[in-house]
Amino acid sequence: MSSIDSPAIVLDAVSKSYGEVRAVDEISISIGRGEFFGLLGPNGAGKTTLIEMIEGLRLPDTGTITVLGMAPTPRNLDLLPRIGVQTQRSAFFTRLTAREHLVTVAALYGLPPATAEKALDLVGLTDSGDIRVTKISGGQRQRLAIASTLVHDPEVVFLDEPTAALDPEARRDLGQMLRNLKAIGKTIVYTTHHLDEAQTLCDRVAILSAGRVLALDSPRELIARSGIGTRLVIPAGRISAEQAGTLDGVNGVAIEDGMLVLRTAHTARVLAALDGEADLDDVETRPATLEDVYLELIGAPQA
Amino acid sequence: MSAYAALSRAVYKAAVRDATTVFFTFAFPLIFLVIFALIFRNQEVADTGRGYVDYIAPGVLSWGLANAALFGVAFTLMQWRNDDLLRIIRLSPTSIWSVIGSRYVVALGIGAAQCVLFVGVAMLPVFGMRPDPTWPLAIPIMLLAVTAFLALGLIVGSAANTPEAVAAIANCVVVPMAFLSGSFYPLELMPTWLQEVSRVLPMRYVNDGLTYAFTGFGTMTDYLISCAALVVFTAVFAVVGVRTFRWSNDS
Repeated sequence: MSSIDSPAIVLDAVSKSYGEVRAVDEISISIGRGEFFGLLGPNGAGKTTLIEMIEGLRLPDTGTITVLGMAPTPRNLDLLPRIGVQTQRSAFFTRLTAREHLVTVAALYGLPPATAEKALDLVGLTDSGDIRVTKISGGQRQRLAIASTLVHDPEVVFLDEPTAALDPEARRDLGQMLRNLKAIGKTIVYTTHHLDEAQTLCDRVAILSAGRVLALDSPRELIARSGIGTRLVIPAGRISAEQAGTLDGVNGVAIEDGMLVLRTAHTARVLAALDGEADLDDVETRPATLEDVYLELIGAPQA
Repeated sequence: MSAYAALSRAVYKAAVRDATTVFFTFAFPLIFLVIFALIFRNQEVADTGRGYVDYIAPGVLSWGLANAALFGVAFTLMQWRNDDLLRIIRLSPTSIWSVIGSRYVVALGIGAAQCVLFVGVAMLPVFGMRPDPTWPLAIPIMLLAVTAFLALGLIVGSAANTPEAVAAIANCVVVPMAFLSGSFYPLELMPTWLQEVSRVLPMRYVNDGLTYAFTGFGTMTDYLISCAALVVFTAVFAVVGVRTFRWSNDS
């Protein structure tokens, strides 16, 4: 098997229980090299347990895990330098500066301080390198955490909610950074609750619930297959709900926040039909999103 | 830079950048020295021609060494586990022995610095300590004391999940032990049964060993027994420490 073509991560019927709870239930996933893979699901769906098993921090009860062709457990010193793990809590050495922290992390991998400098630069923190880790801002903390993950130039990167608790600007910057990582060929496995972000970043996503994979595909495929279609939002008073229901191509009618909402799989036909009946100004078309698919699968009330 | 050296530096910087650590490690024992010096000012121990400071100083120093070694490692372990730093180390190719070794070498360095500072101050004319020429015998005791209390600190650091818990547990261990081991109050003045209790406490042997080294009080056999006892305590604490060790709070 050539190492370049083989998948980065292969999970085969992996299960893990805590007492009576099946945290991970017979999950099989194959993640390709260079793929940006999203693990989505509500809290308690088994995402963290799954990732920790792939990282070698937990043992599966049954099933096999292969990362870069190797078993992650028992602690595999050949594999560890080739994977990078960002933990949910930002883990920094006590009372060090950002630069000192990265130098220490680099040394854990037997690498010289110059690698720490490169990692600082990669996440745009060169100018903040001498600030104590306790003093840097939330967005910078998150970037420093990612720099710690990347300092040894791993091939596979695990990011656990990297954009949680960030302001919109910091989130956008981080999203760009993640795209850059993908561009240089890293395999990225990440969890997030920001489904809009997952939709734009991920090549494929797995939606997990109660330890099982409910759906696994590219966001585009998942949306297309879901049949949720597009929502047309019409300001009140343009057309009655009864009349709208009779238009060609309309699958459903609802009133939300005083607006009339039409659901359709054929946006152009509905708009054409509507054009004869009502003013089209300010009519919004909202294509289905990954979030819609997610909420439908997880069973939360549809927005 | 090796992982071992880098971790040692990280621990060292974390220690010296914390005013509280520096105070409790270096200044606090000196405060006790001043208090006892005021209490026993100008008194001589009968028939020895020695001032009380010669007997008090080794006791306070043994408490200071034990306190710093235990608190230091317990805080580091609790903090590194809470902050997920242990997980980062676990996921790097660095061995856990580099981690413990780096903490150990910093603790030894701090212990040596404590001894030099403390004895140096105690020898000032105002306190008037006069160490015997056998003082180099204090070095093995210092090393063994730091080792034993570092191993004890590993247990405390694994048991406690918050800084408050570390402080509470460590104080409960160290403060009564200091009194019962004769660090603050001569064992000879305690009831016999309490003197017997002190034999199961590691600090007693630190105290005995340092007292012999600095004042010649006791015998060489007692000194060697103290060394051996500290080795045994270290072994016991290390076994328990390894068994209670946790990489993270949720496993």
